[in-house]
Amino acid sequence: MVSSLTAHCVNTMGSSFIRVVFRKDVNRLSAHGGDRLNFSTSRCVAAKVPPARKPRERVEIPGLEMVTYGERMHYVPGLAKPVSPQWERDYKDPRHYRAPPLHNVPLYKEQPCYVYNQRTSALEGVRQALWLSKAKLISGLPPQLLSLAENPANQITDQDERVKNAIKHARFWDTTEERPGKQKYSNALLLNLLHLCATLQDRKPAFRKRTLVEKYSLAATLKRGEDLFQIRGQNGLLLNCMDPLPEVAGKKEVSDTVDHVLESFYPISPTIDLQKVHVYKEELNCLGFRDDYPYRHAHTLFFLEGADESCKLRPEQLRAKMVMFTFGNALARAHKLYGVQTQHMLDRPITVQAVGTNGRIFQFMVFQLNTTDLSGDDGIKNQVWLDEDVELYDFAKVRPLIKKKQVKVPAGLAGYKPESFNKFLALYLHGAV
Amino acid sequence: MMAAVTCLTRALRSLTLSQHALLSSQAGAQTKLGAQVSSIAVQVRGFLTTAALSQNRTHWKQIEKYTVRPIGMKKTGGRDHSGRIRTHGIGGGHKQRYRMIDFQRLRYEADREVKPFDEKVVQVRYDPCRSADIALVAGGNRKRWIIATENMQAGDIIKTSGVIGRMAVSANEGDAYPLGALPVGTLVNNLEIQPGKGSEYIRAAGTSGVLLRKVNGTAIVQLPSKQQVQVLETCMVTVGRVSNIDHNKRIIGKAGRNRWLGIRPSSGLWQRKGGWAGRKIKPLPRMKNYVNLPSISA
Repeated sequence: MVSSLTAHCVNTMGSSFIRVVFRKDVNRLSAHGGDRLNFSTSRCVAAKVPPARKPRERVEIPGLEMVTYGERMHYVPGLAKPVSPQWERDYKDPRHYRAPPLHNVPLYKEQPCYVYNQRTSALEGVRQALWLSKAKLISGLPPQLLSLAENPANQITDQDERVKNAIKHARFWDTTEERPGKQKYSNALLLNLLHLCATLQDRKPAFRKRTLVEKYSLAATLKRGEDLFQIRGQNGLLLNCMDPLPEVAGKKEVSDTVDHVLESFYPISPTIDLQKVHVYKEELNCLGFRDDYPYRHAHTLFFLEGADESCKLRPEQLRAKMVMFTFGNALARAHKLYGVQTQHMLDRPITVQAVGTNGRIFQFMVFQLNTTDLSGDDGIKNQVWLDEDVELYDFAKVRPLIKKKQVKVPAGLAGYKPESFNKFLALYLHGAV
Repeated sequence: MMAAVTCLTRALRSLTLSQHALLSSQAGAQTKLGAQVSSIAVQVRGFLTTAALSQNRTHWKQIEKYTVRPIGMKKTGGRDHSGRIRTHGIGGGHKQRYRMIDFQRLRYEADREVKPFDEKVVQVRYDPCRSADIALVAGGNRKRWIIATENMQAGDIIKTSGVIGRMAVSANEGDAYPLGALPVGTLVNNLEIQPGKGSEYIRAAGTSGVLLRKVNGTAIVQLPSKQQVQVLETCMVTVGRVSNIDHNKRIIGKAGRNRWLGIRPSSGLWQRKGGWAGRKIKPLPRMKNYVNLPSISA
């Protein structure tokens, strides 16, 4: 029995059981099954639902007044539907805020700005970062840094044993489950290694002028050619120092970089994968700290691969991010010291270091900012020393890898390489020795 | 039996009197329709015996902005909007993500000039939604997916040009030119029927068409089915064969592999052979003309 209500449209917004059927459809329904009325199957399965029609387009002709059935208070065929004016809230409600259109926002600018943020994964990787920072790549760390760690006076007592314990703690012991997750162990490993390096504090008084900082906001603006770029983000871990780092390359090497030609990756433009914004603050240079902060010089940045779950960066992209953010730190520092005008050659080049890791493989980097004149592609270039894919250990297995009843990789830590920790220590010691 | 039905309808009537329940998109659409044309409405009580039809919504297909990231797909199983099977033999299979392919090769970037441009192939990979492989190409500020040609590899530079010169261009594989710029006899794929519409023909794995001849302002291309088509010479086309040329030589091997591809078994009943069965030997159909040329007789 189909109960019929001859009324206007019933408001069935709330009910999921009632289906509003028009009279002609009801006839169609009964015609479908002949004289039998269908009790078992519901209408929504049996009858074909016509697709929703788009509402009629309302055309406004200037000068002509629309005759609507508004005054008559009921629908009249042939007259237009009355349109009520848009209601604007006269008080401010933060839960119902509509942003004004883009052109009316106070900070809107015609010229777009390309922002490199924490989640950018540059398509061309390190090449793109080098072009953007106008830098020359030198593979391998500078020799004077490596000799720092070779010096036995600078080494920690029982260095190998303590580093292995640090790795085992991060990889095996730091959990109640079978094994800790990648994000947890990479973070734990980095903090353990930093703690180990800091135990040299009794021998090196300069370490007392350092501090570790987390989640500070960085912003640096630069102009490359006609495009404006900004490097912005909330960095992970930073080692701050009261004194600046000494420069790594001498004046002669710096002037030799004039001959170096930046690698171009035509047909891809260097702004690819960068976020394009029209709303930004011009000349934004912020180091993340106030001017009276005692530890003002950035010493080393630490990047974890698994820091952000939403973006997974490949090693090449992680290296590019390292280059860009060290460059951003150095540039913001230079702007603070020497002002916003471009300096062709800085008297005292600013050096910043960076370490990136995924828990096993480390990338070490030293960036030296020689010039803030980034508009052209020629002239003095900045320098990047990059040591990529340095393994600290080969395997750290909870259960041994057995193939064909033979143990291929034993359980526990296997293949520890002491040279990698030496490089880490060298980067930490730089500036304090 | 009738008493039971009346009890049931009375119970349901009491249920429906309360207005606060879930808002279903179906009911919403219906009331919108009802508001537009306010004819006499009738209430029908029914209950769902299948999954809610809102599950059939194809919202994933209605994304307007182009993106390189793969989009999660909803499988229909051959069912149409009413929920009944319209095409048999489809269902199940491995989950797939749809990568939005840009079939209009000659698409200029927003702020760039209208002139021939280069793009670099970043990656060539398997696409679960089609037989051909797809290539991620990057040029200027944008990345897009296109159908890869036979010998395309990562690192290649491919050219797209909309200019028709007087001399025919010696085209490399993977480049895209209008038909009027190519020499007669080149193997082409991704053919556009109307200029600017996007390619709709010759996109399957290993296929290629042949440019037969060029006749004042139009070009005649032979499709892989030996059918000939006459189109305007400004229609864009890529040079070469489509990738994955050994696709027709693959052996499925077992019924399970077909099921992984989403192909359900066909009906095992004996079908009477009518005119549809057997090999056909017919003359080629006439050449299809997609150009609105004034006829010679007029």
